[in-house]
Amino acid sequence: MKTSVKRGYLVNGAAVVLAYALFVVLAATLGQGGSFKLILAPSIWQCCYLILLAASLNLVLGFMGQLSLGHCGFMAIGAYTAALMSLAFQRAGVYDEKSGAVFIGILFLCIISAGLLAAVFGVLVGIPALRLKGDYLAIITLGFGLIIVNVINNLPFAGQNGLAEGSAAASLYATGLGFGSSDRVSYLWVGVGVTILCVTLMFMFIRSKYGRAVRAIRDDEIAAAASGINTGYYKVLTFAFSAFFAGVAGALYACCNASLSTVSFSFTNGSILNSTFVVVMVVLGGMGSLTGSVVSAVIMFLLNYQIANGAWVDALPGFVRGVFTYPMLVYALVLIVIIMFRPKGIFGAYEFSLLRTPRDAAGLFKRRGGKRSRPVGKEAAAQ
Amino acid sequence: MGEFLQTLFVGLRLGSVYALIALGYTMVYGIVRLINFAHGDFIMVGGYTLIFTVPLMTAAGLPAWTAVVIAVAVCALVGVLVELIAYRPVRRKGTNMTALITAVAMSLFLENLAQAIPAIGPNPIIAGQLFASGGVRVAGVTLDYITIYTIAVSAVVMLLLYVFTQKTRLGRAMRCVSEDKGAAVLMGISVNKTVLATFAIGSGLSAAAALMYVAQYPKVYTTMGSLLGLKAFVAAVVGGIGLIPGAMLGGIVIGLVESFSTAYISSSMTDTFVFFILIVVLLLKPAGILGKNVGEKV
Amino acid sequence: MKKLLALLLALCMVFALAACGEGGENSGGGDDAASGDTIKVGLIGPITGSNAAYGNAMVEGARLTVREINENGGILGKQVELIEADDRGDATECMNAFNNMVAEGVKYIIGSATSGATAAITGMANEEGVILISPSATADDITTEDDYVFRACFKDSLQGDIAAAWVQQQGITRVGTIECSADTYSSGLVKSFTAACEARGIEVAAAESTATMDAQDFTNQFNSMVSAGVELVYAIYYYDAVGAFLVPQARAAGFDGIIMGADGFDGTLDYISEGTDYSVFSNVVYTNHYDATDSSPVVQEYVTAYEAEYGAMPLCFAALASDCMMMLQTAIETAGSADDAAAVRDALADTSVTYEGVTGTFNLDESGTPVKGAAVIEFVYDSSAGGLEGLGTRLVTTISADEL
Repeated sequence: MKTSVKRGYLVNGAAVVLAYALFVVLAATLGQGGSFKLILAPSIWQCCYLILLAASLNLVLGFMGQLSLGHCGFMAIGAYTAALMSLAFQRAGVYDEKSGAVFIGILFLCIISAGLLAAVFGVLVGIPALRLKGDYLAIITLGFGLIIVNVINNLPFAGQNGLAEGSAAASLYATGLGFGSSDRVSYLWVGVGVTILCVTLMFMFIRSKYGRAVRAIRDDEIAAAASGINTGYYKVLTFAFSAFFAGVAGALYACCNASLSTVSFSFTNGSILNSTFVVVMVVLGGMGSLTGSVVSAVIMFLLNYQIANGAWVDALPGFVRGVFTYPMLVYALVLIVIIMFRPKGIFGAYEFSLLRTPRDAAGLFKRRGGKRSRPVGKEAAAQ
Repeated sequence: MGEFLQTLFVGLRLGSVYALIALGYTMVYGIVRLINFAHGDFIMVGGYTLIFTVPLMTAAGLPAWTAVVIAVAVCALVGVLVELIAYRPVRRKGTNMTALITAVAMSLFLENLAQAIPAIGPNPIIAGQLFASGGVRVAGVTLDYITIYTIAVSAVVMLLLYVFTQKTRLGRAMRCVSEDKGAAVLMGISVNKTVLATFAIGSGLSAAAALMYVAQYPKVYTTMGSLLGLKAFVAAVVGGIGLIPGAMLGGIVIGLVESFSTAYISSSMTDTFVFFILIVVLLLKPAGILGKNVGEKV
Repeated sequence: MKKLLALLLALCMVFALAACGEGGENSGGGDDAASGDTIKVGLIGPITGSNAAYGNAMVEGARLTVREINENGGILGKQVELIEADDRGDATECMNAFNNMVAEGVKYIIGSATSGATAAITGMANEEGVILISPSATADDITTEDDYVFRACFKDSLQGDIAAAWVQQQGITRVGTIECSADTYSSGLVKSFTAACEARGIEVAAAESTATMDAQDFTNQFNSMVSAGVELVYAIYYYDAVGAFLVPQARAAGFDGIIMGADGFDGTLDYISEGTDYSVFSNVVYTNHYDATDSSPVVQEYVTAYEAEYGAMPLCFAALASDCMMMLQTAIETAGSADDAAAVRDALADTSVTYEGVTGTFNLDESGTPVKGAAVIEFVYDSSAGGLEGLGTRLVTTISADEL
């Protein structure tokens, strides 16, 4: 590893740890106060799983160049795995209260198992990906997402009524790992910590020799194979890796929500959490930029939250408010416009790095026209 | 025997609709190489157009199904607009993948736009009966006339499309564009015009599909096209995408798979079986049942 | 240039939309009331999205009742301010809307329409001490003892049991069920019906299902019902599938027995394909919260007011939302103050209070769920009237909860 790269990891790593520590301290001080507990904490949880979902899809869509339209299927596997495991532990009497070392241990166990099981399914989807690409793969992954939802609906222990069986309404909230308002604050460090860790792992993956191989496959599969890259192995690996993080996102979703329903993981539905919208987030942020995925997941969340709940919407003139009554329409338009005028997304292939930021910022002011090509070129040179 | 026949007829009923939709799908895909996710939503557009125009037709003393003429025009117009506004600019600048994502966005857009229009709204609308009911009785089980009509319409459309693509000037241009865009330009074919014509025809066909679908399943709602379109696409892929007879075959196959799996395996897992068939076909014979496997050129 | 054109077109679309959107914009019940002196009541429901029909019915019913309350002097002299939020039928959106309302100081919330979305907020309602009354979340475990969650509808197990009791009264011994495995409402009801049938010695000889509530072909399912030789099929779907697909296809498949449904059948009359053979609807019955053709003054007044306002018959979602509002009004008046949610909760938890709502006269049980009977309604076709006009519904009987 080159010293400059090492130094980059060191500086960025230290900054991330510092920011995280600051966040934990801040969250502890804000504590159980009204608007923090009711609005900020749930929002941060939702951002966490959306970020993980978008970033993990970017591995497949942006870095490997394969469109997957069933990404929420992996998330569903993760969510149901984590939820069912936690319920099983609770019913076996391993934990009673949602506090203490045992519960935290189980929490992490659930999150990791969710990721692992999703990864197993990632391998299963990755195998057809060896033979198919482009449109056909998109349709297969879409079919996979539908199959997962269909199967989960029909599992007696997991389906629409399965989770609620024999316990209080929001069974996850009462007994499983679903958090209520105050637990969402107390365990916010878990959600944010897991997200930071996972994004870091993904970042390291794309900067490693694996990441380079995957990008080589995207750019020219035949040339990559001719250069001695085992394309099959890397494709399946990336699918599994991506599915793992989607599964973790699912586990976080189960933590944040008191109830689970397969509608949340379908191809399209009423919310911004579905297979189509993950694609929207990735495209918006930039295919091939994890920074972009993180930013666009947060932007999408804020936009959606504000349109649905923001007080300022009521203050808008009638016709704009009329449009916002149908937020899905707005998102569809935004996506079309973005693709038309900025097909590479907001960030293109740009990645944020503390070392480079001052120079980038300076460059931004100096040459507005050529600002995008610079970081990309530099990044390519660094590797 | 009765139960088997009944299941078979249900399969044919579903399959004939899938076949008709798949014909439009395969037509567009074969030439533009784009999965037009919005194709299913064109059926929704056709469905609503029928809802609003059938009363006009009956008031004018014409049979209800003549409203399809207007529906074809409206759908073709919507198809052309979608191509002009969204697909063409994206195709010019972006890759296959960005075009595909635009198609997904377009589908999302149309579905939600429909809901925002007050005359349509969120509630489903139920169409009246478009054809006289009744059917042929075979061994005590009825095969509806509508099913027979749908199969007949699909077959006629299939033949017409085949003749059109083989014999006419525009049809030949379409095949050229599908095979090699660059060479087509060199031969003096206007690629843009050809693609536009393809969209007009494909979308117009979806209005015909809407007519036959609504005749059998008279509920029209804004998201009616999404799963329908997907299954029709699956049908087109299973039969061999880009192949006009393949769409017909694939449609019938998917309909039968759906019906028989409902009756004999599990009625709540139909979607799983349909997509499982797709995965199996794609893995064993990626070009589809009727397609020829062509090695990738380097 | 072309870019500009595309942009212009996109803008045109936005404005076109804006024009259509404006018509549907809300104007809450009491906008003109002084804001400091109002009782804020939140309403969360699927106003857009695939369940929009139910959410909009809820909104219409609630607005109507709020207006009536305000015109009659409000609750304890205070005007009611209805704050509406859209959850698009999604659990997370529902949670966000709930949190946002609570942060704004709303203490009384009506919602949501479906059990799935409601389950996401019941726990939080207890934690925050906010009263939640759901009009139509029928899953058994939505309400529990000693909490802040109540509802205006009966629960699945009661409705299933009432249906089974009616089946037993008819002397039917062999039944079949069709459910949608992906829908809480459908599978929950069928499950409770099956359990009740077994307890009553009725044999459930065939159980079929569909993958989605949007399924369009029920022929195969009814085919196996015919093979199983059942006398009655309990099929739980919504009104939009019943008239268009389910009943005509069942008859075409050769099933002549009774088709029984539940409150989701309410509204079927508006969703029947014109030109169908309407006689297929004989022998179709369903249980409902109330009978809109009921001659009781409460129902007739409500139906008349609703028709005058919206030009349509109220769906049961509208009537139930109105009843939620009525329950809340009664409880706040009993508690004597709208500031103390705990006191209002205690008033609602009092099982001796009898509510006279549009959907029946009922008391709440310990968990906060109405103990009320169900109306068994059948379709009748009068061929002499000709066409769709001849098709109507008729009350067969009412079965109260204590008859079980």
